[in-house]
Amino acid sequence: MSTFRIEAADRPHAIRLAIIWVVLSVLGIIAVLQIQYPPYDQTVQGQDQSRTLALLTAIATPVFIGVVILIVYSAIYFRRSSPELVDGPPMKGNTPVQVVWISVSAIIVLFLAFVGITTLATNSSAQTVPGQSSSLAGGTAGNAGSEMQVQVIAQQWYFTYRYADYGGVETTHLYLPVDRPVELHVTSLDIIHSFWAYQLGVKADANPGVDNVFHVTPQKTGSFQVRCAELCGLWHGQMSDAEGQVVSQSDFDTWIAQQQQDYAAIQKVVPSYAPYYFPVPLTKGS
Amino acid sequence: MIRRLSFTAAGVVVVIILVVAFVGLFMLRKPGQLAGPPTTIHLETVGAVGTANEWPRPNDPHPDWVGYLPTTILRVPANSTINVQIDQEDSATGLRNPFWGKVFGTEGGTMHMTYFDDKGNPQEGDMTSIDPTQAAHTFAIPDLGVFVPLLGVNSAAPAGSTNVITFSFKTRGPGIYHWQCFVPCGAKTVFGNGGPMQTLGYMGGELIVS
Repeated sequence: MSTFRIEAADRPHAIRLAIIWVVLSVLGIIAVLQIQYPPYDQTVQGQDQSRTLALLTAIATPVFIGVVILIVYSAIYFRRSSPELVDGPPMKGNTPVQVVWISVSAIIVLFLAFVGITTLATNSSAQTVPGQSSSLAGGTAGNAGSEMQVQVIAQQWYFTYRYADYGGVETTHLYLPVDRPVELHVTSLDIIHSFWAYQLGVKADANPGVDNVFHVTPQKTGSFQVRCAELCGLWHGQMSDAEGQVVSQSDFDTWIAQQQQDYAAIQKVVPSYAPYYFPVPLTKGS
Repeated sequence: MIRRLSFTAAGVVVVIILVVAFVGLFMLRKPGQLAGPPTTIHLETVGAVGTANEWPRPNDPHPDWVGYLPTTILRVPANSTINVQIDQEDSATGLRNPFWGKVFGTEGGTMHMTYFDDKGNPQEGDMTSIDPTQAAHTFAIPDLGVFVPLLGVNSAAPAGSTNVITFSFKTRGPGIYHWQCFVPCGAKTVFGNGGPMQTLGYMGGELIVS
């Protein structure tokens, strides 16, 4: 049994492979960095996620290209030409080569894990603004810059939204002011749903009796879509809303004032704002 | 041996045909479309489809389920005003989310209702909301922003009484819009959201706008 090493006769192949790999990797990285990655940049968190995806793809590209060109190159130059079945020479490995590939793989994987965890942690942390509080009950209505509390309430088969900082007013569409950090409290009134605001970079489980907290900071005005991402019954496929909007603070103030005015008719019978709700009774009409 | 194999193969083929036919017929079964003037929808909501006043379905597979009658597949013209009359015969169940006790998306933001008060006397008026605990059902087309709560028949009302709710809404462009009830009214099911709430043809359907 011999140690794995590149024979002199094979060196032209190795050099050729290395050149092809370097050239294709550079071209591949340039190409993948041109792609716009979802969920794009409507929110700070979405932009972070897009950048992370771009980075992960760029790092994965040379690995992918290396594997593919080895397979293709081998299939072209090293394929078995005779019909007889001959085993190759046994090899027991090469310590320097093993040290290099294990080290490189470990560094890449650990780096990617670090980047991914950092992005997750950044996305999950409250967007603190100097001089502003962000407690659930202590928000101040209309203060641009403070982290606004918005509760997302899922029910079969629609999402409604309550604005804790505006008297707990409930609305049928999600409007958010631009450049203002938002703390989303996602919950459900009946069964498990999933709040997926794709362009905002938020996908959060909506469970009854659970207050699931996510943070977003919209940075571009425009519309976004909300849909349920958890199979939840007959009309799950219809549980969506294309009328979500990120608007200017002044437009938001006008809109929320109108919502408060409309809400007054029902306000006295809607329960007080709470972090979550329980579906009661368990069985109706029995 | 060959004869036995032939019988077995024939049996397998027959079973496959029966299974495919059963599944196919189940998937293709849909309630009929509402007949009548294209800009008017007349519906009846009942506590048991088998014993409705206007359009009873005694041969329904689930005669004791709540439901909208005579059908839940509604065809209406695009970009038009649709006048709706719902004869509501069921008693109150109550909304899980009281927010849906408010009227949204109708012309003028109101509905007109004839109903019975706590003393069983007939009443009538335009309303923008009802007591959510007294809702029997809702008629909601989320994609059109239409949400209308339907008041349950008061227990003090004469037997066989009906609340009549009328309202109008506008359709948008052609498409298929789902509509549903937001009251968890599936009796004897977990959270009230099973049975008729999960089956096309009872507490939800399609508004075909063409």
